[in-house]
Amino acid sequence: MLIVGLVIAALVGPLWVWRNIEDPSVQRYGIGSAVAVLGAAVTPIAMGQCGFAENTSSVDHLFAWGLMVGGGWFALAIMKAVFDRVDGKTQAGSSMAGEIRTRGFRLGWWVPWVLLSPTLIILIVFLYVPAVSTFTLATKLTRLGAPKSIDVCFGNFTELLITNPFQLVAYPLIAIALVYGANYWSNHSTPGSTSRRFADIATPIAALSVFVALYAIFSPGGGGQVAYRPVYVTTIIISVGIVATGMIGGLAIAYLAFRQIGGGGVYRTLLIWPYAISPAVAGLLFFMIFDPSAGIFTYTMDNLFGVQVPNYRESAILAQLSIILASSWKIIGYNILFYLAGLQTVSTDQIEAALLDGASAWQRFTKIVLPALSPITFFLLVTNLTYAFFEVYATIDFMTKGAPAGKTSVAIYEIIRIGVNNGDLGRGAAQSVLLFLAVIGITLWQFKTSGERVSYGGS
Amino acid sequence: MKYRLLTLLAVIALVAAACSSSGDDATTTTAAGGSTDTTVAGGSSADTIDIDFWVAFSDEKRLGYAQDRAAEFNGAHPDYNIRVTSFASYNDVFDAAVLAVDSSRPPALIHFFEAATREALDAVDGDGNKIFKSVTDAIAGRTEILGEPVVLDSVVSAARDYYTVDGSFYSMPWNTSSTVLLSNMSILEAAGVTEPPATWGEVTAACEKIMAMDGAPAGCISWPNHSWHAEQALGQQGELLANNDNGRTARATEVFIDSPGMVAYVSWMKDLTDAGYYTYTGLQRDWGGVDTLFLAEDIAMQIDSSSDTLIHQAEAADLGFDFKASFMPRNEDVDYVGNLIGGATIWMVDGMDQVTEDGALAFMNFFSNPENAAAWHQLTGYVPITDDAVDLLNSEGWYDDEPNAKVASDQLAAAQNTPASLGALIGNFVGIRDVITLAIEDILVNDLDVAERLGQANEEANKSLQEYEALFGG
Repeated sequence: MLIVGLVIAALVGPLWVWRNIEDPSVQRYGIGSAVAVLGAAVTPIAMGQCGFAENTSSVDHLFAWGLMVGGGWFALAIMKAVFDRVDGKTQAGSSMAGEIRTRGFRLGWWVPWVLLSPTLIILIVFLYVPAVSTFTLATKLTRLGAPKSIDVCFGNFTELLITNPFQLVAYPLIAIALVYGANYWSNHSTPGSTSRRFADIATPIAALSVFVALYAIFSPGGGGQVAYRPVYVTTIIISVGIVATGMIGGLAIAYLAFRQIGGGGVYRTLLIWPYAISPAVAGLLFFMIFDPSAGIFTYTMDNLFGVQVPNYRESAILAQLSIILASSWKIIGYNILFYLAGLQTVSTDQIEAALLDGASAWQRFTKIVLPALSPITFFLLVTNLTYAFFEVYATIDFMTKGAPAGKTSVAIYEIIRIGVNNGDLGRGAAQSVLLFLAVIGITLWQFKTSGERVSYGGS
Repeated sequence: MKYRLLTLLAVIALVAAACSSSGDDATTTTAAGGSTDTTVAGGSSADTIDIDFWVAFSDEKRLGYAQDRAAEFNGAHPDYNIRVTSFASYNDVFDAAVLAVDSSRPPALIHFFEAATREALDAVDGDGNKIFKSVTDAIAGRTEILGEPVVLDSVVSAARDYYTVDGSFYSMPWNTSSTVLLSNMSILEAAGVTEPPATWGEVTAACEKIMAMDGAPAGCISWPNHSWHAEQALGQQGELLANNDNGRTARATEVFIDSPGMVAYVSWMKDLTDAGYYTYTGLQRDWGGVDTLFLAEDIAMQIDSSSDTLIHQAEAADLGFDFKASFMPRNEDVDYVGNLIGGATIWMVDGMDQVTEDGALAFMNFFSNPENAAAWHQLTGYVPITDDAVDLLNSEGWYDDEPNAKVASDQLAAAQNTPASLGALIGNFVGIRDVITLAIEDILVNDLDVAERLGQANEEANKSLQEYEALFGG
């Protein structure tokens, strides 16, 4: 299998060079072929070709093939970047390096490396080494303090997925086809036409199909598989809830607080305070508000109004809402801070001009303020999503511990529950890798889509 | 430029968060948030031998007790300096200990809970040597170490039998408890129930009366959704949680989570819930939530660890309701076999020199000498750990004044000494316990079929155990 794969890579490499590089020389075809083979060979060789072993399932084969394709593609992409630089298509250094050159400094090539070395060492020791060992751990069955570990190849990943290999390939391919199809439709229709309007509706629907495809390929559990689909659904609901509530709420409050009001400075400072509270304390606070037996809210409702507030931890919807409420309350101060700063940069000239033209307050907000804030919004989207994915553990642990029956157990909560509390390092690592890839994927997608619409005011 | 800067910020924030999280969570599982304060009790000079004692308590009362005894010991033995370090939980201590052994800086004495017994026995260092040494072997028949009488032989049988593996008593019991029923007799009597219920059927009947009366509390009974309670119910019914006599004649390789006894227990729990008698706090392992319900008189009864008996008794007196402790209710359809212990013991690390080891052994025996064991019991309600301590308490007339304090000891004494009532030794017990409590929560909250959901849990738990055995089973 490995040989077949490498032969294919050797043939695809030159083909890729022909499609992606202008006027390639013969050497470049050769280099392309070699690089593709090298890239494709890295993972199967590093993992001892375990994905192709006799006793493995077709899903394991798929994984092995997927990694070979990914490795080859990644190697070719790097090669293209190198070629582009050799050809002088991209600036060798950043603008800062350009600045230095223009002022006539003469530096040895090693000077930047020496200056960077403290940072690089910290990055290597605290980021890259753990990250690489996470990938290694993800292929093993092991526990803290175990005298040995057992290689399970892709087992920690495949047990999270459905077992039918055809569906496993088909769903993502359909989703990708839909996304590209909608994109193509949008690009090839005349702006303003009916066709374009439909295309504009189709694009977000196609994007949603990616989430649906992921839903379809995660296992619902049973048959020895891990039920990861519920974790996926919970993560989506809670993350989207936190980001939407936190950002819309943050913008709304910032917009109101930005007006000229007496004592505005004090008021605006107070608004930012929740950000200084740790996620654990936020969880504890909301626990003390909503706890059915000792909560302030439930006590007040019962004693003042005779309303019996149900136990939020026994209803999936209430539990998820309470997590979203507590987490977005914590992040909202951060969002307000950035939006307040952003609002100061909105051009008053434009607002005044719009005012003279008779634009309503809502029109001024949507047509002028919102677009002007789009760089801030984009930045906040990334940081809020990171927060929703990685920092809600403590809040959940204090408020619900995943209750009811896992309905608030998001990806990061599962990772810590499995990897740390239960000591199952391999599975914890595999799920970390998954979450890592998810964040990379979402960010790349945001860069592609939001990036196009973000307006930086022409600078 | 603005674009670049913002993009750069976004990417840095993202990568930092992603990498650090994925790295930390899986690869370097340290006892984050664990170690809090190290107390150096007594003066430390160059000649004293430091003996580290890692304790899984962080509350004033129990940690304070350990610190006070360490200070006393240091005063009596100036050559030694026992240093107590507090951790937030048993899991934190365990993880920290494994890592400390790997880096060759282990503490001498470590406080582990009963569920970690199998894992403590299996724990090895980087070279494959066992981390812990049997306390019996280390004492080697001595009756006195550094002038401290050896109390190991006097340990009550329930605890001795639990911690004796392959014929050797491995670790020194400290805090040992059992489950007891705590009743608010004021509510029970108002409903015409004169005695706390002794069986599952009596609980249901009592709850029917309590919930039917005027001014009924919000619920009738509660206990934490903790696997320990389920294990107690299995012991009472004489059923095994794991094969090979609960892992006592040979390593356990299979668990029985969907056994008839477990189905009966969870079904009873579910029936109580459906009838509105059992109040579920909505959190797993929620000891504090149940305590709050009981002390707020939102429920009439709770099944609690006996370690809370005296604390709740004092609080009940303050709050002005009558309080009574009794045996944990049992299934009346089968013969009673026995309740099991819970709690923790002190494990001693192997590989110390003789002088240090003797200091550690002397301290452990001092720690549970009759006076100290009796004081520990009176402070908390954990059972007095040695027969000598029981005799001492009897001679002082303690039990005549405090009948509630005796319930747990009596319950343990009533147990037949079978593998079922001893409790199970299982690898990855913490993970398997999580599987059990999650299944129970699922059943209570989502109204699922008991046998079917437990069957599913059984599959998960067995997979987990088999994986553990593949790694540690030799």
